[in-house]
Amino acid sequence: MVNFVVRRLAFMVVILVGVSFLTFLIVNVLPGDVATTILGDFASPEQVEALRERLDLDRPVLQRYAEWAAGMVGGDFGVSLKSNQPIGPILWNRLANSLVLAAMGMAVAIPIGIALGVVTAVHRDSLLDRAITATVVVIFALPEYVTGLALIIVFSLEWNLLPASSLVLPGQSLWANPMTLILPVAVVALGMLAYLCQVTRASMIAALNSGYVRTAVLKGLTRRRIVVTHALRNAMIPTLAEIGLGFGYSLGGLVVIETVFSYPGIGQFLVQSIQNRDIPGLQAGVLVVAAAYGIGNLVADVGSLALNPRLRS
Amino acid sequence: MAGPAPGPTATPPGIGARLGRLGIMLFPALLLFLVAFGPLVTPFSATAFDPAATLRPPGPTYLLGTDEFGRDLFSRIVAGAQPTLLPALASTFIGILFGTATGLAAGFLGGRRDEVIMRAMDVLLSFPALILAMLIIATLGANMVTLVFAIGFVFWPRSARLIRSAAMELARHEFVDAARARGEGTAYIMFREILPNMWGIIVVDFTLRFASAVLLVASLSYLGIGVSPPTPAWGLLVKEGQPLLQLAPWVVIFPCIVIAVVSVGSVMFGEVIRRRLTLPDRRILA
Amino acid sequence: MTGAPGHNLRVEGLSIAYGSGPRTLHAVRDVSFTIARGEAYGLIGESGSGKTTVAFALLNYLRGGVIRGGTIEVAGEDVLAMAPAALRDFRGNRAAMVYQDPMSSLNPAIIVGEQIAEALRRHRGLDRRAAWERAVDLLALVDLPGPAALARRHPHQLSGGQQQRVVIALALSCEPDLLILDEPTTGLDTTTQAVVLDLIGELRQRVRASILFISHNLGVVAETCERIGVLYAGELVEEGPCATVVSRPGHPYTAGLLRSMPRADRAAALRPIPGSLPDLTRPPAGCIFADRCEVASAACREGRPGVRRLAGDHLARCLFPERVADLPAGDAGPLARAQGPAPDDAAASLPKLAIEGLGVTFRQRRGLPLIGRLEETRALDGVSLAVPRGQTLAVVGESGSGKSTLARSVVGLIAAERGGLRFEDKALAPRAAGREPDLLRRIQIIFQNPDGALNPQRRVLDIVGRPLRLYGRAPAAAIPARVEELLALVRLGARFAARFPHELSGGEKQRVNIARVLAADPELIVCDEPTSALDISVQAGVLNQLRELQAESGLTYLFISHDLAVVRTISDTVAVLYLGRVVETGPTATVFAGPHHPYTDSLLAALPEVGRPRRPAVAVPPLPGGTGRGCLFAPRCPQRIPGTCDRLVPPLAATGDGRLMACHVPLAGLAEAQRARDAGGRD
Repeated sequence: MVNFVVRRLAFMVVILVGVSFLTFLIVNVLPGDVATTILGDFASPEQVEALRERLDLDRPVLQRYAEWAAGMVGGDFGVSLKSNQPIGPILWNRLANSLVLAAMGMAVAIPIGIALGVVTAVHRDSLLDRAITATVVVIFALPEYVTGLALIIVFSLEWNLLPASSLVLPGQSLWANPMTLILPVAVVALGMLAYLCQVTRASMIAALNSGYVRTAVLKGLTRRRIVVTHALRNAMIPTLAEIGLGFGYSLGGLVVIETVFSYPGIGQFLVQSIQNRDIPGLQAGVLVVAAAYGIGNLVADVGSLALNPRLRS
Repeated sequence: MAGPAPGPTATPPGIGARLGRLGIMLFPALLLFLVAFGPLVTPFSATAFDPAATLRPPGPTYLLGTDEFGRDLFSRIVAGAQPTLLPALASTFIGILFGTATGLAAGFLGGRRDEVIMRAMDVLLSFPALILAMLIIATLGANMVTLVFAIGFVFWPRSARLIRSAAMELARHEFVDAARARGEGTAYIMFREILPNMWGIIVVDFTLRFASAVLLVASLSYLGIGVSPPTPAWGLLVKEGQPLLQLAPWVVIFPCIVIAVVSVGSVMFGEVIRRRLTLPDRRILA
Repeated sequence: MTGAPGHNLRVEGLSIAYGSGPRTLHAVRDVSFTIARGEAYGLIGESGSGKTTVAFALLNYLRGGVIRGGTIEVAGEDVLAMAPAALRDFRGNRAAMVYQDPMSSLNPAIIVGEQIAEALRRHRGLDRRAAWERAVDLLALVDLPGPAALARRHPHQLSGGQQQRVVIALALSCEPDLLILDEPTTGLDTTTQAVVLDLIGELRQRVRASILFISHNLGVVAETCERIGVLYAGELVEEGPCATVVSRPGHPYTAGLLRSMPRADRAAALRPIPGSLPDLTRPPAGCIFADRCEVASAACREGRPGVRRLAGDHLARCLFPERVADLPAGDAGPLARAQGPAPDDAAASLPKLAIEGLGVTFRQRRGLPLIGRLEETRALDGVSLAVPRGQTLAVVGESGSGKSTLARSVVGLIAAERGGLRFEDKALAPRAAGREPDLLRRIQIIFQNPDGALNPQRRVLDIVGRPLRLYGRAPAAAIPARVEELLALVRLGARFAARFPHELSGGEKQRVNIARVLAADPELIVCDEPTSALDISVQAGVLNQLRELQAESGLTYLFISHDLAVVRTISDTVAVLYLGRVVETGPTATVFAGPHHPYTDSLLAALPEVGRPRRPAVAVPPLPGGTGRGCLFAPRCPQRIPGTCDRLVPPLAATGDGRLMACHVPLAGLAEAQRARDAGGRD
């Protein structure tokens, strides 16, 4: 078990090195000069040259990558081109905000999504199953901003119950107005829940059709024990691994959700970096998101492993 | 040795279900029509301002109303099919093409080559799809070609992983061993023995990934990345309309509905295809 | 309730159908039988007979099936009328089942002790502690070593035989009135099967349940049961005391089954049952077997024959049971044997295939890719064998013996690391890719799973035509005609050319595989368990086919099998493989006559066969961890010489009667030990 976690961790480090290299590469080696991209097509050659110098673009790529990566490991995320401020502190603050959103969304989505998946699998092909499954497919197929705007129209504009924006004023805490969190969390949760419901339903159906569930039925066990102890326990193994992927999915979705609600998270940070052509900020932000995704997957894999006796020993 | 497998007990689908299925099958035809002829069949110009008809609510003349510049929303949505769906279609095609080639090679060749290829794919998979696409577009510059390339690139490892596991599963079958023992070449086994058994998976993957490409294009254009005004891409319509949400909700609601219908429709179309294709060769596809 | 004497299980007029409308499958029709308390009843049937459907119906577990009529009573209670709550109290408690595939019937995530204990808590009302203790006792009852520790293991940590014993313990946990054994030893190795059968035989003395033993294997049923019922296409066609049914069958189908069974105790020609199962969506009005029957007349097709009482409790659903005795016995058929060619020149005296010191080691990475640790398994360890031209060498062994690895190395699917292969006078490259096309053509392979070996997307025409095209055996225009000829050669009509594999039955698929191999016009055919996925009556047809082809065109076979009876029927020479090494090889008749290598002896002893008493299995200690030294079989060997067998590898040496054997015990010693044991066994 410990052995597995250590290996899995080593594996993640290898992947992260690849990810950081790729992030660096995309920005620095792809056709099109970064300096021109940042400054736009109308910049004068002198401006471009000045920026090239500032970004050290004339030095070998590998050397620049090594320095950049070393800085990242040491917590130095570089300096924003826009504000000339160090990127690190802003990034951590934004990441923390996003994680709050993701964590709260998952806290809502995981129990409900799994419960719905179990219910639909147990009552497979019933009217209830069809209704829930159809709803879930539709929700999952909607872009986050459509869901978000629908919630805003209903809860903010029609009923005037909840604020439509999560804008946080400078110096204010995210928690100053907790009501503003409800709608964005709901959108994160809806997407996750739709995903988890489908995944759980599929793995529960596989489990319910298995030989060991047949044994349990023919053992005369109660329905509850068959579903919970025998089927769900096995169905959770693939489902847990999927939660890790769902986490990555919701991180991507955060970009849109945070824009809809003007929520000060890392997604909004990325969009702003793009709008401001702040390449160092974008690089650092993408890398942090990928790292968070990697850690999320790691946690899910270890959880899945803990449930799977075949891999545990 | 087991007794006869319990046969499917489902009753034949009723007329309603059949009509529904027909509707789903007509769906791609409608989309293709919009992509090909959308800009030609709009009742009004999709881009020209009309100061005399700003913010009209839906009515007989302006079916879905107009925006703050007096542009007919219905015309904008019809014309917007092309900039939304064409990149989605093209990027899905590219992603699946490269994904199939990579997945087939990795899954069939196996060994060290497979490990190296798949670890590279793992690196790409460590980026959430939307964020990787954003990164690429931001660096390469926002235009249609970049958009297609970025989404295709995002799909590549995802499709490769799916095709690889299907190819590995198929490569375990004895008909592949039989071909090897016969002395068939690698290309023959990959393209004549394995690939024909994967068309079902590839087609289904295509439809589902197309749905997700529509979402990505719509999300990117909503974020203002990839396409720029005055292109009436659907996501852009929502973005531009959002400030008017309170004043003229139709400007936002109708594009949202269209995006939802196309995305949900593509997913359902994929489901119909999947069910139909898996029937004869369940053993292989399952 | 249970005090009532007489029939403990009563099944009356049971009919079960799947589906509805015109495609309704009438899987079981009008089946009646009874089992007394303490009696074991064997239900024999091939695939499609409905035997598993009957088994699950006894527990009122039908999954899509519908009871169309009949009653099932267990200990006087109507099972089909039970309310859900009553049914839950009944299942696992009054009636329990042992399944065909133990691995998939145990929950992989729960320790085995708990899987038994939960049934005891549910039905016996025991508390956690008492249920656990009882579960450990039950594991001891089924002879599992270290039951207290074993109870805490997960299913995947047990061997197949151990898993099946856990399932048996579970079934016995609540002392049921009815115990159903559904192919309990299918899929287990011969020696493991023997241990499980011994256990079942022993438990029979202790439990007072009615036992329903379902199997496709007459030998297995014959040794376990008092009475036997023969199920064909959903109907019980014959029933009677085991010994009577086996020696004087009263139904042509039973007689056909017996004649298509290969035997290990004597060389016998096989007579397959012609034709195939009737379409059960439209069962015929007359006798269900009439279309395949050799004694049927017009009367048989007019109406369903009634049950005839032949003698005592021997019943058959046949109009002419007296004609069955006149059917030619299986042994009467000519034993088609290829004449070994006279070794008149040097090339002819060379073996067709020489395997010289072949060694294969598998390395599997455990854990994570790239950085996981490598685990090594020796699949083949210095195997040397020769296959004479125009003859059949059978390689026999249990799972893990390396027999399939050997087959795959010969055709170049697995590259051997040590040793070599020689085809006539040419050395063979280890991989197929390195061999010249003509050599590839001359060596062909038939696989075990007829289904998997055919590409589901190709028509038979393309499948059989491919070697013609690949090796340039026929011009493109002539291919369809040549394919038709090849299909005719394996007794398939020209209409099969247009079909897809999923439109064929198992036997037809294997014939297509043979036709494809013949298309290459090969000289050596490697047969890797070609009939083990087929029903016995179909297997007989395929085996006869292979033999006829050999007689006609002088083919050479390397025949891989786990089935000693099949090996005896098909081969000229035999090699017995154990954990990757040859322990004994020689002419088939001599090897089967004995005295045997101790491992061969344990295989033969473990084989249940009709009309031949099986010796109780030797208690098998846990599989050898492999000291890497000495004889690999030593840890299991009853004739082991301490100090020698576990230190020195026995060389494969001539025994003087045409065989080679790897054993430190001299032949005379083996003969004496086996004679003494047989004498002891008879007492």
